[in-house]
Amino acid sequence: MNAFGLAWRLARRELRSGLSGFRIFFASLVLGVAAIAAVGSLAQALLSGLADNGRAILGGDVAIESVHWPLTPEQRAFAQSQGTISQTISMRAMSYALANGRSGARQLIQLKAVDAHYPLYGNVGLSPPISLNAALACGQDSICSAAVEQTLLDRIHLARGGSMRIGNQDFRVSAVLTDEPDRLSGGFSLGPHVIISTGALARTGLVAIGSLIEYDTRVRLPPGASIATFRQEAKARFPDAGWQIRDRDHAAPGTDQFIKQISVFLTLAGLTALAVGGVGAGQAVRAFLDRKREEIATLKALGADGRLVFLIFFLQVMTIAVLAAVAGIVAGAAIPFLVALFYGAEIPVPAHFGFFIAPLLLAFVFGILSAAAFAIPPLARAREIPAAGLFRDLVQPARGRGRLPYLAAAAGAGVAIIALALVFSPSLSFSLWFLACAGGGLIALALVSAAIGFALRRLPPASQPALRLALANMTRPGSATAAVVTALGLGLSLLATVTILDNTISHGVNESLPGTAPSFYFVDIQPSDAPAFDKTIAHFASARDYRRTPMIRGRIVALNGVPATRAKVARDSRWALNGDRGITYAAQEPKDTQLTAGHWWPAHYRGPTLVSFDAELARGMGLKVGDTLTVNVLGREIEGRIANLRDVDFSTGRQNYVLILSPGLIDKAPHSFLATVHVAPRDEDALYRAVTDHFPSVSTVRVRDVIAQLDLVLEKLAFSVRAASLVTILAGLLVLASAIAAGLRARLYDSTVMKVIGATRAQIARIYALEYALIGALTGILALGAGAAAASLVTRRVFEVPPVIDWSSVLLAVAGGAILTVVLGLAITWSALAARPAQQLRNL
Amino acid sequence: MQESAIVLDDVQLTLSSRAGPVNVLRGVSLAIPQGESLALLGPSGSGKSSLLMISAGLEKPTSGRVVLAGTDITSLDEDALARLRRGTIGIVFQSFHLIATMTALENVALPLEFARAEHPFSRAREELDAVGLGQRADHYPGQLSGGEQQRVALARAMVARPRVLFADEPTGNLDTETGAEVAELLFALPARLGTTLFLVTHEEALARRCARILRLKDGAIVSDSRVAAAA
Repeated sequence: MNAFGLAWRLARRELRSGLSGFRIFFASLVLGVAAIAAVGSLAQALLSGLADNGRAILGGDVAIESVHWPLTPEQRAFAQSQGTISQTISMRAMSYALANGRSGARQLIQLKAVDAHYPLYGNVGLSPPISLNAALACGQDSICSAAVEQTLLDRIHLARGGSMRIGNQDFRVSAVLTDEPDRLSGGFSLGPHVIISTGALARTGLVAIGSLIEYDTRVRLPPGASIATFRQEAKARFPDAGWQIRDRDHAAPGTDQFIKQISVFLTLAGLTALAVGGVGAGQAVRAFLDRKREEIATLKALGADGRLVFLIFFLQVMTIAVLAAVAGIVAGAAIPFLVALFYGAEIPVPAHFGFFIAPLLLAFVFGILSAAAFAIPPLARAREIPAAGLFRDLVQPARGRGRLPYLAAAAGAGVAIIALALVFSPSLSFSLWFLACAGGGLIALALVSAAIGFALRRLPPASQPALRLALANMTRPGSATAAVVTALGLGLSLLATVTILDNTISHGVNESLPGTAPSFYFVDIQPSDAPAFDKTIAHFASARDYRRTPMIRGRIVALNGVPATRAKVARDSRWALNGDRGITYAAQEPKDTQLTAGHWWPAHYRGPTLVSFDAELARGMGLKVGDTLTVNVLGREIEGRIANLRDVDFSTGRQNYVLILSPGLIDKAPHSFLATVHVAPRDEDALYRAVTDHFPSVSTVRVRDVIAQLDLVLEKLAFSVRAASLVTILAGLLVLASAIAAGLRARLYDSTVMKVIGATRAQIARIYALEYALIGALTGILALGAGAAAASLVTRRVFEVPPVIDWSSVLLAVAGGAILTVVLGLAITWSALAARPAQQLRNL
Repeated sequence: MQESAIVLDDVQLTLSSRAGPVNVLRGVSLAIPQGESLALLGPSGSGKSSLLMISAGLEKPTSGRVVLAGTDITSLDEDALARLRRGTIGIVFQSFHLIATMTALENVALPLEFARAEHPFSRAREELDAVGLGQRADHYPGQLSGGEQQRVALARAMVARPRVLFADEPTGNLDTETGAEVAELLFALPARLGTTLFLVTHEEALARRCARILRLKDGAIVSDSRVAAAA
């Protein structure tokens, strides 16, 4: 039998004692693996749901989107030649509840008009379950039917069967919209959804030139037809079409990207938990091997060489690691089902819950590698235990670092974890940053705790005995201080970081944004309505910062004559080239404009088009004053020369345009106006009512409602991020438990001796409580510092604002950790306090 | 001349301590012929256990030469020494040092398994029978009395038919009656196989059952005598 076979046989004998001595090792691994497996499985369930429902979410195999204008007859004929088509028209509009023929409550809605072929894939859910045709029919009485979301009925106090007006047309609510298969591809919507027929839309009078309307033509391709061929032919036939073509494989790219990004963060948080748990696991292995040192020496005395000794215990530890990893992936695979059970209704994505091998396998590999990385160093040290120790009173614990090949193997496992995390991450730079911060945090905490230990050992002895003993316990060899400060500290740091980030973002949304953002956005003001609209606003004394600007949609198609698709553009500036942007024109420099280069054109300038461009985007696109930009507006290309560059700050919530063009050509294009105004809160309702009463075709967005909606989204996001940091804290507590359990023998000895010389249990408990409180407080303070530093880095670099620290919630989080340390510490040490001295003295 | 099982040539052992270096063994020279039984007597701290460890290849001398079963072990590394021990020596400890997670049979088979010997378990069972514990083969150490544990340890030490049996205070943790039973086996088994016995003890009576008695004081041999009628 070879050495491996023999080692495996002996390891199996060792395993007869079960998990004894390995509970914390087991728990640490289960926790980390379960967290990673759960996040991976949940993300996979959501992504596969998106992928499997790609056709229904997109509304077809291919969707052609154009803003402002429907497809030309030629384009439509081309789409029809490729398969069955369905056309939808989407826009924002105002709805008014009708009571006795008068307008009552009103609400901004997301309106979608559909033709008879809609939906090409999937089904529209209606309550009662009537056919969509029946639900959208227009009757003899010139009233049309509409399917609306329950939220709209709640907001405008209407029941099914009730009447409402949209534009110039009255509608009867025929059914409640419970499921809209293509909802996700529409992106973020500001109001409840309403579906009507395209015929009914024509009657509303809302379709005006320059209105912000999206036309979607969905195509159901015959079986076997290629999407790539469709794209090629479309591009060949209509090279200048200002449309955007999407396909079933990328039906909801934004949602897809969001799920991937949040899962990267949560997976990395899971990995941090695994790393923190790994510290506990390594400690547990060290404690286990400490108890086994006589046995190791005996094996050596009987002729086992170091390699065999290493193999026996390595196989034992790794067998338990495999069992733990399996338990972890079972738990992790089950968590998404629990999420579906309790929160299924709140998940906006058609998730496909199931067992996904890839994320489970990845979590398993992470678990095994981390077990190896943290267990090999103590095993390598144990390999060096000499047999001669058996003839002395005590076999000395393993010392030194172990041999280089073993340490290299442990380091290799660590590198493999990082490499895997990076390879499977869709965001390499974010993952690198996160791992660097977590790694740097661990090293910094370890160094600081070592420095504090060094300083404490050099303090003059405290006069108070309990404090003296507590400090001595904190600094003696093998004390739990360093491990606890490092491991629990990292979890608490993460929690402090998340809490501060949450405070900062909430402050920005709830405090700063209302200060700078206007109270209302008014979209689609028709030129003919503009003077009356201005008067309506002027009627309100508290109205200030009123700004009405022309709004035209257009795409940047070339930079200095180079097509945008081929131009070299920095990654963070690419978004400005994807799809349509809002463009305006202005003769005079708008108020509060900060020019960074060039000059504004003269007020009466009517020459070739000049452009005022966002300075940051210009940097990303390599553009400067004097360069040219070509924009496609309603199918016509306009080339302009950059006259100046501006600072654009989107965080204020005010009107901001990336592109402002000089008048002369662009103002001839059909367009509507966008207006913003700030009014005193007391006038908000009156202004809302006045505008919506007089201008039913204008979509009125109340910023306060948007902020509330945003706040809700942020709250949900913060919850998942906090849950991730709690997993890390739990891992830190396991390290704490393992560190205290490892020192239990010494505690038993101490407490016995102290009792013999007259100490009461309460006195001993006070000493231990003081020690744990000092460790907890130290950990908390360090975590607070580290958390504040990390949060400050993120807020300053990413959000470009200083961090907002709500001290009460941060202190609560950190104090909670410290209190947990004391409670857990005393609970584990209880057996040492409760032990009878006589019994212990016989064993000592 | 009869072949020597152990040869020590001017062996010195100096250990460092906080108080400074301690000379544990001071130039010990010794030859123990194959098959001889030798008792090492001396007060606590005289260097008895250190001399045993050096002879068994468990400790390296500071200077001098050690030959065990014809192999100069002075320059062998830790793992080479472990491999040499497998078939060459057996050790019985005062505290038994059985592996708690293994049955008596598995404990006894262990040296054979390390040596990749054939049929380790049937040979281990024979050895347990020889110490009178055949019926306790499947018991774990925790289920055995002190005397039984030491008999298992003796079976484990002898199962590979070693050239030398080292015994460090083998009856030190046992009561008189049990100690006597173990002592009987301790002398009978090596004698039957021609195994050299290197016994470290405090007990004069036990020592007198050996053919030769060495007395050690402050790390040096102070007397080396033969016993008229060894057991």
